[in-house]
Amino acid sequence: MTETEPEVEVNGTEAEDDAQDQDIKQKKQTRHDGGAADLERVTDYAEEKEISAANISSAVEQFGNQRSKENELRVAKEKELQKVQVKKEDIELIMNELLVSKTQAEKVLREQSGDVVAALEAIISN
Amino acid sequence: MPSSEPLPPKEAALFRKLLKCYEMKQYKNGLKLAKQILSNPKFTEHGETLAMKGLTLNGLGRRDEAYKYVRLGLRNDLRSHVCWHVYGLLQRSDKKYDEAIKCYRNALKWEKDNLQILKDLSLLQIQMRDLEGYKETRHHLFALRPSQHASWIGFAMSYHLLGDHEMANNILETFSQSQTSIEPHDYRHSELLLYQNQILIESSHLQQALVHLLKYEPLIVDKLAVRETLGDLYIKLNLHEMGVPIFESLIRRNPENVLYYEQYMVARRVSSSSDIVSVYREFQAEYPQALCPRRLPLNIANGDEFRVVADEYLRRGLRKGVPPLFVNVRTLHQEADKAVVIESLTLQYFENLTRSGHFSREDADAGVPVEPASALVWTALFLAQHYDYMRDTDRALEYINAAIDHTPTLIELLITKGRIFKHAGDPVEAYVCLEEAQSMDTADRYINSKCAKYMLRADMVIEAEEVCAKFTREGVSPMDNLNEMQCMWFQTECAMAFQRTGRWGDALKKCHEVDRHFAEIIEDQFDFHTYCMRKMTLRAYVGLLRLEDVLRRHPFYFKAAKCAIELYIHLYDKPLKSETTIEEIDIENLPPSELKKLRSKQRKAKKKAELESAQAAQAQVKREQHQKSKQQANQESDPDAPQLDELIPEKLERTDEPLEKAIEFLKPLQQLAKENSATHLLAFEVYNRKNKLLLMLQSIQRARALNPAHPVLHSCIIRFMKALASAQKQQPFNVHVQKVLDKATKELIGTKTPQQLNDEFIAKHHASSILHLYEGARGLYELDPSKKDAAIKLITGFNLSKLRLEEAIKIYTALRDGDVFGDCEKEAEEYKLKCQQRFQYARIFRNIEELEAQLQEKEAAKLRAEEEQQQLNHLDSHETSAPSAPVSVMAAS
Repeated sequence: MTETEPEVEVNGTEAEDDAQDQDIKQKKQTRHDGGAADLERVTDYAEEKEISAANISSAVEQFGNQRSKENELRVAKEKELQKVQVKKEDIELIMNELLVSKTQAEKVLREQSGDVVAALEAIISN
Repeated sequence: MPSSEPLPPKEAALFRKLLKCYEMKQYKNGLKLAKQILSNPKFTEHGETLAMKGLTLNGLGRRDEAYKYVRLGLRNDLRSHVCWHVYGLLQRSDKKYDEAIKCYRNALKWEKDNLQILKDLSLLQIQMRDLEGYKETRHHLFALRPSQHASWIGFAMSYHLLGDHEMANNILETFSQSQTSIEPHDYRHSELLLYQNQILIESSHLQQALVHLLKYEPLIVDKLAVRETLGDLYIKLNLHEMGVPIFESLIRRNPENVLYYEQYMVARRVSSSSDIVSVYREFQAEYPQALCPRRLPLNIANGDEFRVVADEYLRRGLRKGVPPLFVNVRTLHQEADKAVVIESLTLQYFENLTRSGHFSREDADAGVPVEPASALVWTALFLAQHYDYMRDTDRALEYINAAIDHTPTLIELLITKGRIFKHAGDPVEAYVCLEEAQSMDTADRYINSKCAKYMLRADMVIEAEEVCAKFTREGVSPMDNLNEMQCMWFQTECAMAFQRTGRWGDALKKCHEVDRHFAEIIEDQFDFHTYCMRKMTLRAYVGLLRLEDVLRRHPFYFKAAKCAIELYIHLYDKPLKSETTIEEIDIENLPPSELKKLRSKQRKAKKKAELESAQAAQAQVKREQHQKSKQQANQESDPDAPQLDELIPEKLERTDEPLEKAIEFLKPLQQLAKENSATHLLAFEVYNRKNKLLLMLQSIQRARALNPAHPVLHSCIIRFMKALASAQKQQPFNVHVQKVLDKATKELIGTKTPQQLNDEFIAKHHASSILHLYEGARGLYELDPSKKDAAIKLITGFNLSKLRLEEAIKIYTALRDGDVFGDCEKEAEEYKLKCQQRFQYARIFRNIEELEAQLQEKEAAKLRAEEEQQQLNHLDSHETSAPSAPVSVMAAS
């Protein structure tokens, strides 16, 4: 008991201080920069709104299908690109001559079916 | 997956409260709750609570403690999604977005369908513009919670941003049909409808957009947007007559919107210039106060009609004393015949106002009442500005001096006088005028800024800072405050002043500061990802995202980046000596007494230097300690976290890799300012020094596509050919590279040799363009240094009267500095004398001693004048001493 009592007291005064602090702060804000206060509010938390209508499940399904179709397409395209044979030294040549990242060098080289001259020209004339 | 150490009900309730407190930003209460849980001996080590305590501390700005607790919590409970999520949030608030994404992914490993984590992940993905990833996450959220508004909006938006308008529209359409009860004046719903309409327009489904807009018009509260979009759609869909009443009403609402008038003309299908002018006349009658219907006809009218409308417009402005009258008509000067008309009209005003107080002889004959006396001053000001625009310095000064004699207290006059001197090449005289103008109204921020800018142009950084201090926050150094306020024009002008005076490090610091402002503006968009979605201001939000994507296209960035690239190139060409080797003077040939003096001087300098370096070392140690403690606080796992280093001029100018630094500034320009030749010419300079032939070629090709006649392009081609030949000599190229180079050079110059190419170039531009000729002469010398004299003759022989000041300065500095044609002091001196006669105001061509003598003379005159004034005052006070005494007593009491 004796231990908790002062604790409470401290808490109490702190809360008061808080309130006072806030008061002062608010006054300052209104005086100086109302705009800054508005900006502060941008990060406030807010509850999400729920939709009342129930008739949306078919839409969800439809969009889900659409999405998986897209994914298939993308995977297929990536697979196609991965099939292209590229040489490591070609990638390095492109990186060194044109100061591009490895991923970009490799991507362009694959898109040009591994033709290093075409890849160099593609980057230059891009 | 639940936490590995579940809390009992009482503590669990407290923990939930703690989460709530964090969300509501009640950090102090949150800390108390955390303390309550942790004070239970069984849970002193509870991972999730410790992590939340850390995050709460971060909310209070106690960053170091925050990291400590969050890490401790995570270590105690590595399988908790809460701990990982919290760690991600903390990293995010520290702008370490990549790290934060990793943390979120770890969190999702333990709880893959957690809404909050997915939401936070999607925010980072949109911030980093990982649009595919964003779509993925948004779909996941949508599938989990199709009942929430935000799920639909975010899902649709992810498609829109990837350019799939159809899918985006489908999602929004389905969504708005599922909305059954919409209250009237629902702003969010209204914004959503307009957003959907925007998507339809962007995908060129104009008919559909029109139908959509008309259908939902009653539900949309932004009536102005509806009108504007509707009018635009009518025109685009060829339903012009439907657009006419819309634009009429828009003009009635705001008669100062230029676009409305233009669209109105299109809708009414008036195209001939005299018809358009008469329509504007109708508007003039209808809205007599509006400026647009008076000013816009000046753009359209031609010949005599232009003379009539310009006459009306100018008289009105001069009579009322509209200060920016010249600025309002300046764009018309681009058409030479209009400039002639404006000149003849204002000359006529000036003549007649002087003679009879009327704008024209006809007015005088007709007995029209005289114009206000001020009209003469405004007319003289206008003429001064006009002749300044034409770079006729003498006449400009004549008129401005006449105006100042008439009304010495008008600030605009002094500003214009300063501007005339600036354009004539005398930044010092210019700033003197501005300083005087500034002293006349110290409460005007515009004139204050202008004055500072002119001081910077005269390389007076300290004085400029002092002037700015009148408007910056007290108690802070003005330089720091201007940086904090992101005052970029000031910083860029500072950088250029430092560049001119050879303070490379200081200049670089300013450029980097500007670059950081842009980085910060991009950071600042983060909070708006949630805010805009919640407030449904989606049109504005998409606009923001698109702006941020091309932010560094802004001219402010271009200027600063160009300056930085030039500085780094300079530092590469002429690296600074390390500080120890600077002071090696030839002491062998000195007489003993001199030597003694020198020695004692050196000793003193050494002592001072030692002291300074000791201080610097101390500061350095402190800084390092500071950095270390910061880094330790950060984390052991990722040493390459983006730390914002302090920008230290001495370090910046002694970088080991100036070209790499230059490329950092260059990259955004190449991406975002590719329509500017200067970008590619700068790129050439960098890659030339890096000896990357293919990239040199790339820069040439890009610059050539934009403007094949750019003078500098020629020099780039010659230097490219030269570099190609010398590289080939050293080492044969890789076969592939050789192939690319062969093909491209053939396209570029065919089979000509560089010499041939250069000779042809010179022959073509011999008498027409000094800038081209200069590049040709450069090529001549570059290809064969023995032709130095011929090259110099070529440019110094060009008719000086055809030269503009900027061109003369360029030629002269090239000769003076000896970088381009080798040492040629004599020729430079001769050229300077010739230029001095041609451009008598330009400071650069004048003798420094002479200028200083002049300045001292002026100072002395000023002092004398002040003394005389004081004596006069003294006399005055003697004469009036009796009545003034009570006043001073009053003041004292």
